[in-house]
This record gives sequence, C-alpha cells and structure tokens, in this order.
Amino acid sequence: MSGTISLSITEKNGASRTRTISMTTKSFKDGLEKRVIKFLEPADVRGTSMLVVDNRDVSDEMWIYLPALKKTRRIVSSEKGKSFMSSEFSNADMSSPTLSDFMNGHLPNSGSDNQWIIESIPVSNDKADEYGYSKKVSYINSDNYQVRKMEFYNFDGEIFKTIDIKSMHRTADGKYMVKNMVATNLLTGRKSEILFSNIQEQVKVDDTFFTVQNLER
Amino acid sequence: MTEFIIKFRWVIIVVCIALAIILGSLIPTSQTDPEIRNYIPATMPSRVETDKIENEFGVQDMVMIIFTDSSILTAENLQQIKAIDRDISKLTGITSRTSPFTVRTISSSKGMMEADPLIRRIPSDEEGFTELRDEILNNQFARDIVVSSDMTSASITATINSAEPESLTIHKIDSVTYAHQGTAKVLQGGLPYIRQRLMRDVKRDAIFLVPLALIMMLAVLKFSLGEWKSVVIPFSVVVLSTAACMGLIPLLGWKLSIITLLVPIILIAVANNYGIYLVARYQELRINRPSDSVKETVKELLGSLNMPILFSGLTTIAGILGLLSHSIIPARQVGVLAATGVTIALLMSMLMIPALIYIRGNGVKKGVPAEAKTNWFDIFLSRLAGKIVKFPGRFITVFIVITLVFASGITLVRIETNQENFFPKKNAIRLASDAINTKFGGSQTISVMISGDIKDPVVMQGIDRLTGEVKKTEGVGQVFSISLAVREMSKAIFSPGEAGYDQIPDSREAIAQMFELYNMSGDPDDFSQLMNLENTKAHVLIRLSDPGNSVIRNVRAKIAEITRDIPAEITTGGYAIIMTEFASSVIKGQLSSLLIALLTVLILLSIIFRSVRGGLIGTLPLAVSIILLFGFMGFTGIALDAATALLSSIMIGVGVDFTIQYVWCFNSYIRKGLTYDESVTAAMRTIGRSIIINAFTVMAGFSVLILSGFTSIRFFGYLVIISIGACLAGALILIPAILARFKPGFASRDLKRKINYKKEKGKNENENITIGVTAAAFSGIGTAARRRADNE
Repeated sequence: MSGTISLSITEKNGASRTRTISMTTKSFKDGLEKRVIKFLEPADVRGTSMLVVDNRDVSDEMWIYLPALKKTRRIVSSEKGKSFMSSEFSNADMSSPTLSDFMNGHLPNSGSDNQWIIESIPVSNDKADEYGYSKKVSYINSDNYQVRKMEFYNFDGEIFKTIDIKSMHRTADGKYMVKNMVATNLLTGRKSEILFSNIQEQVKVDDTFFTVQNLER
Repeated sequence: MTEFIIKFRWVIIVVCIALAIILGSLIPTSQTDPEIRNYIPATMPSRVETDKIENEFGVQDMVMIIFTDSSILTAENLQQIKAIDRDISKLTGITSRTSPFTVRTISSSKGMMEADPLIRRIPSDEEGFTELRDEILNNQFARDIVVSSDMTSASITATINSAEPESLTIHKIDSVTYAHQGTAKVLQGGLPYIRQRLMRDVKRDAIFLVPLALIMMLAVLKFSLGEWKSVVIPFSVVVLSTAACMGLIPLLGWKLSIITLLVPIILIAVANNYGIYLVARYQELRINRPSDSVKETVKELLGSLNMPILFSGLTTIAGILGLLSHSIIPARQVGVLAATGVTIALLMSMLMIPALIYIRGNGVKKGVPAEAKTNWFDIFLSRLAGKIVKFPGRFITVFIVITLVFASGITLVRIETNQENFFPKKNAIRLASDAINTKFGGSQTISVMISGDIKDPVVMQGIDRLTGEVKKTEGVGQVFSISLAVREMSKAIFSPGEAGYDQIPDSREAIAQMFELYNMSGDPDDFSQLMNLENTKAHVLIRLSDPGNSVIRNVRAKIAEITRDIPAEITTGGYAIIMTEFASSVIKGQLSSLLIALLTVLILLSIIFRSVRGGLIGTLPLAVSIILLFGFMGFTGIALDAATALLSSIMIGVGVDFTIQYVWCFNSYIRKGLTYDESVTAAMRTIGRSIIINAFTVMAGFSVLILSGFTSIRFFGYLVIISIGACLAGALILIPAILARFKPGFASRDLKRKINYKKEKGKNENENITIGVTAAAFSGIGTAARRRADNE
C-alpha cells in the first residue's frame, strides 16, 4: 500500500510547519511490517528517505538516508513514547498496539451510547515509562469497532494528550486504517494532524524496495 | 497666620488626621514589586529587546534546584532527584526543564545514531554508576549542566510560565522538594526565587524596621524634649505624615520595591525635625516669657521659626527632588514620595503643631535648663570653636587634604546591580546562587536572538562562532545554541577524522536534513528553546558564572563584534543585559540627581544668604561630603546600587539644614555687633549643639536600616550615618573655619530683614540668636548657652 501523508504541526501561537511525505508499506510474515518514507516537502529535505521496520515484539528499527550528506544512519530508540517526526504523535501511535503490554478493561459506562470505553494500563512501570503514559482510554464505536478518540493520562492521573480520529479508510480486505487524525497536547497547546491521501492499496512493490540500499538510490 | 491657625485649629487638626487615616488605610493594599526590570522604563532598549526574545522563546528566568552530597551519584540521591523532577514536570507554572532525567545522549556507533535519555534506569551496581559517570563527563549537554564534573551536585533547571503567578509556582516547587526529602541537600535558586525572597524580605523589613525606627525616634524625642506631652506633638507629625505618604504608594498605582522601603525611614528620620524646633522653642519661650498668653507665645513662635523652618523644609525637598531626574523608576518614586512626605510633614509642623500647642496650652511643660548635665558638651564646643578661630587655615587645609585623599577613592567605586548580592553571604538564596555560579554555569543569562534563515550555513556558522567565542569569555559559564546540537548530530553522522565530523555542514539542505534526522529520534521540545518551529529564529543562551557588570559589558561587546558578519537580524537581551542598562542608569541617575540637587540647593542658599558667594560657601560642606561618601565607598568596596544611589540626594536634602542653621545663627551674632571670630564661637556654642543633636536624630532614624535583611540597605544605613556625619563636620568645622578665615561679606548682611517683618517689637530679646531653626531645638542647653553668648 502506498499513499501521501501530510503532517502539520501547529504551535499554540499559530506558527505551523508542514511536512509532506510519501509512504509505501508492505506486510511480511509474523506480523512484520516495513515502511519506506520519502520526504517531498519542504524542498530542503526533499529526497530524504527512511526505512522503518516495525517488529512485532522487539524495538522498531529505522534507517534514514540524508542525500545532502550522502549518509545513511540507523536510528535506535526503544522508546515507543518518543515523538514521531517531532509531532505530538508518538511512535506507538503510528503502529498497532502490542496487546500484551497492557491490561485492558471496560470502564463503567462502556457499552452505553453505542460505544465501548476501554481502559488500557501498561502492565509494568517499565512499560509505562516506555510508552510515556500511565493510562489510555479509548472510545470505540460499538457498531463498527472503530476508535473515535483516545485520551492519554500522565503519571499524575491527568489527561495530557488526546487523539481524535477524524476519518477512516476502509481497505479492500475489509480492514480500516486511519486517514485523518489530530493529536492535541493539552499541556503545550500544540497540535499535530496527519492526513493520508492518494491511498493505493494494490501496489505491487518488490521486497528489495524495503532495503537500506534502495534508500540511497 | 497665627489668627488663622487659632481660628481653624480644630479644622486643621481634623484635616491632618483625616488625611493620614484615609491615605493610611490604603497601606494594607500595597503590593510589592521585586522585578528589577520594572525599575527601568519599558521603552529602554534592553527591555524592548528582551521582550522581543521572550515573546518568541518564553521567559528565560530559570528556577534552579541544586542537589548536593559528597557523591551525588547514588541510588538514593538519584531517586530523590527523579521524584522531584517528575513532580515538577507536572506543574503548570513550568514551561520546560532540564534535569539528569531529561538530558539525552546523542551517540553514534556501528553506523547507528542513538538519542536516548542520559539515565534510562538508575544503576543498581558500582559498574553502572561508573558507566553513568563516564557518560556524564562525555556529554556536553550534561556535564556541569545537570551534574557537576566533581559529581557532588546535580541540578534541575526549569523555565517558568509567565502566565502563572510566580509566587504560586515557587510555592509548589517548595512543596515538591519538601515532599521528597532525601539524602541530598536541596537548595533552590535562580531569579524567580531571588524575586520571591526579595518580595518576602521587603515585607518583613517593612514590618520590622518601620516600627523599630518609630521606637528609636520616640526614644530620641523623649531624650531631647523631656516630657511625653512634648514628645507626642512632633511624633504625631512623624506618624501622620509617614502614614499619608505610604498610602500614596497604592493610590498612585505604584508598588513597594526594595528602594521604596527607604521612604518611611527617611520620613521617620526627617519629619520630626521641624516639630522638634517648634516644641523646643515653645518650651524656651514659656521659660523666658512666662507672663505671655498662649496666643502670644504661639504668635512669637511662628514669627521666629516659620521662615527658617520653611527654608529648611524647602532645601530638603529640593535635594530629594533631585531624584526625579533619575532614570530608575523607583528612585523617581522615592523622590516624589519623600518630597511629598516632607511637604506634608512641613505643613503639619507649621499648621498642626501650633494648633496642638494652642489647644494644649499650658499642658506643655516648661523646659528644664540642662546646663549642669551638659557642661562638658559646651566645653567641647567652645574649645573646638577656639581652635577653629585660632587656626582656620589649618582646619581648611586638613579638610582639603582629607577631601583630596577621599577623592582618589572615587575612581574605585563600582556599580552593583546583581540582585544575588542584595542578600547576605550566608543566606540560603546566596548559597544557592554561589553553587549555581560555581558548578552549573550560573543562573543569570544573556540571550541573543538571530532572526533570519537559520538553516543557511553562513548563519549557522555565525551562530557557532558566536557560541565558541563567547564561551571563552571570562565570567561565562555555559553557552547553549542550536549550532552545538548540529555539531553533536554531525558527530553521530560522521566518524572521527572524517570530513564533516564535529562541524557545521556547508549546505542548507544538509543542515535541514540533519534536523529531520534528529526529529526522527528526538523530542519536539528538545530544541524549542534554541530554535523556533519555522527555523526562522535561533536563540543563543549565555549563562553567566559571574554576573558582574564588567563581565556583562565584555560579553555584550563580543556579541556585537561577532554578529556583525551574520546576515541576520540580531537582538540582544536578557536579564543580565537589563542589569547593565540598569547600572548605567544608576550612574546617569546618580550624576543627574546629584547635579540637580546641588544646583537647586545652591540657588536656594544664594537666595537665603542673598549672595551667590554665600550660596557657594554653603554648598561646600555638601560637596565635600559627597566626595567623602564616594571616596569611602571606593575604598571600602561598598558598591553603588539601586539603594545606595539614592544616598547623595537624600544627604543633600538633609545635610544642607546644618549649614543654613549655622550661618543663620552666625549672622544673628554678627548683626548683634559681635566680630566674625566671636560670632563663630557664639554660634558654635548655641546652634552647634542643636545641629549635633539634630544630626544624631537623623542618624538614629536611619540607623535601623543596619538591621535590614538586605546587604544593600544595610550599607545604605552605614553610609547615611557617615554622610550625615560628614555634613555635620562640614557645617561645624569647615564653614566656621571659612567664615573665620575669609570673613565673607554675605554673612554679615541682615538675613532676617524680610523674614521677621511680623515680629513684634519689644518681644525679641532672644530673637537675635534664635532665628535659625535653631536654637531651638534642644532647648535647655540652647537657652543657657544663648544667655552666655548674650553676656559676651
């Protein structure tokens, strides 16, 4: 699958920055997913490309190719709570959650008003530190099982971030993917929005496309 | 005038009391303002520039929490720091923070770039701590920023959110540190703390020192006037005028600052002078003319003292008003408030005191001559006068020599605007500041904002050059800039020895892509203090380990020199820059207020003495005192600061009285037919005592300042004693010596010609000598001495 992503970050004072990237993803065996991201805008980072290997059980791996420096560098970070491209989204927000990392349960009002309200608490303090929050509450439409909104709680038990799912894209195999979502940092007032466009599902991409060597081409 | 006062005595008293009660009732609404930047006008360039930078990058005033222990790298200490850091991160009054748990390590190994927290997990064994120590020493964003090189201290630095009340944020931080007490000793410092402690201590000083000054004044009045009934009259003027004046502060929308704290003390020290003269003279008249009715006595009292008191008051007001030319806002406010207070005290003394005396009538006890008790004082003054008359040239020469010696000390006077030094050395704030300055690069900052295309390599290299050069400047602790981050990234991208390693790339695209690289693993807030989101503004933050004025001037000059070649708009600001402007304001304000006060006093003295030469001679003791004061400050290292800068104007205002009184009294003797030498001696023995006691009264009032919690105010207390002492010596030694040596003509003219026009004939047996504000004052001796003078 491929598509174009517009990621805009807006400061509380209205200053904003927009990145436009193209992304091509392919799923492999054992839940492995690989993504190639190429920067389209702004002009000075055009050509910068990334390879992300989204491992199911171990830390993600990332390589970035910097054309102006003619260098490829691998970026290692085990922090899932770390910001995705300096936005309010974390790396964890960009991929499917690992269910075993959380204790999930219904909240009292879950099931009413056509929605499930699911509380997800990291199984350990280490996991909490890794994800960067103490609790997540997801509001899921009980009709179509789509997440509408997520609230993230800090270690003081206060909401510090929300993600609103604005629209979803239904893929050919009947699954849903988020098309448009907005993350709001309630502490800083900063917002980030991701908008997918030009989504093409039946793109045939060779496995060699998802290699470091391909980045440098 | 007498008829008016007697007729409307109750109205006058009620109006005076009502004025004091109405204005005094506003005092509890007074607010304090410890913010030094508000001391200088908002239009001053340093404030304008700082505001521009803070609009973009937030307030740069840092709160610093310092943890100290013999070894800070222990599990217990790190747990304590982590707990406090975590709780502080949740405070809405904090915008950003740097701690051992927020600093990241950008590293490169085997083709990988890592940007992970310095401390992911608190080590559990010795090996882990050794590894952590090495990481700290090798991390330029950690070493001496969050952990000191000697591993004895760690810090959490937080910038405050100006939208939240600073006092609340400080209170919350205090609560957090209190809640997590551990093995490490915790100190809190930084400008927000300094401001809050200043605010607290200003209030404490006001609550402690003002009553103490009042008690001191009450004791002095009791000592001078004898009975309580007489004491109450001038004391009531002190209380009422001080209350009315302090009520003006909230009424005018002003706030209490460390400087305005001096206003009530000035008033307490000065406001009773006129009342003392009146009551003492009244006691004297009751002794000498017991058959007069109260009305006649009051009339005589006003006739003989109103004009000298008016002159005395006017010269004091003129001297104090010299502060209006000061560029420091609270200094101008002190000028307005103290001058208004003295005016109120003057009016109350001239209207309310005669009214009170009339009402109380015989209730005021007659003064008791204290000849026997104070004989030694007479002997001393007589001997002094004898020596002066005999060797006037020698006395003048000694004054010239002393003045020249002290003049050489003026060049050593330094300016001090560092608020840290307002606190005594063992104060917790001062200890924290010392720790911050010696181990963590200082808490006071200079900010340079570069507005342009930050990704342009020429601009980035300019920022890098600025960072490197300023870091080498003496007194600079740390310098933070986006170029340092770019260099760190280059180290993660290139290998040591490879072109590009630890360098600023030479293309815009390369820099932009480096930032993208960092964005993949860093935090959006990592650089928010160093560069804006659009990459159009960069911020170089310079922390000063020695926030002295000379250091700040040097750094500023270096910034101007280096940034000249950067193709971008440069804005230089920050608290430290505001302080240098404040320092130059102190100098300019000192000079202008001094000149204006001296000039005004010269004009007034020329009018009072009806001679420009007389005015010049009368101004001499002040000029000498000013030289002695600054020379003393130079030799002892007492700096000119926000408080001590007010001294010279206040000294001129208060000290000029002595000369007027002495010359006036001298003139009375000359007019009576005594020679210059005889008049010098007679005046010394009569008015000399009053002047000395008057001077000691003022000194006693100001002496409570020595107990202030602020070093600067304490120095003010010492210096005011020295300067009033110098004025006293000028009036009682230099002026008599000049009169005896040069016999200037102005001193023999009839100075009272138009002043005593209302004096009734036949009731002036004492007037020849009393005139001055004189005599007055401390009746007993004055009367006895005057009698002897008359006999002579």
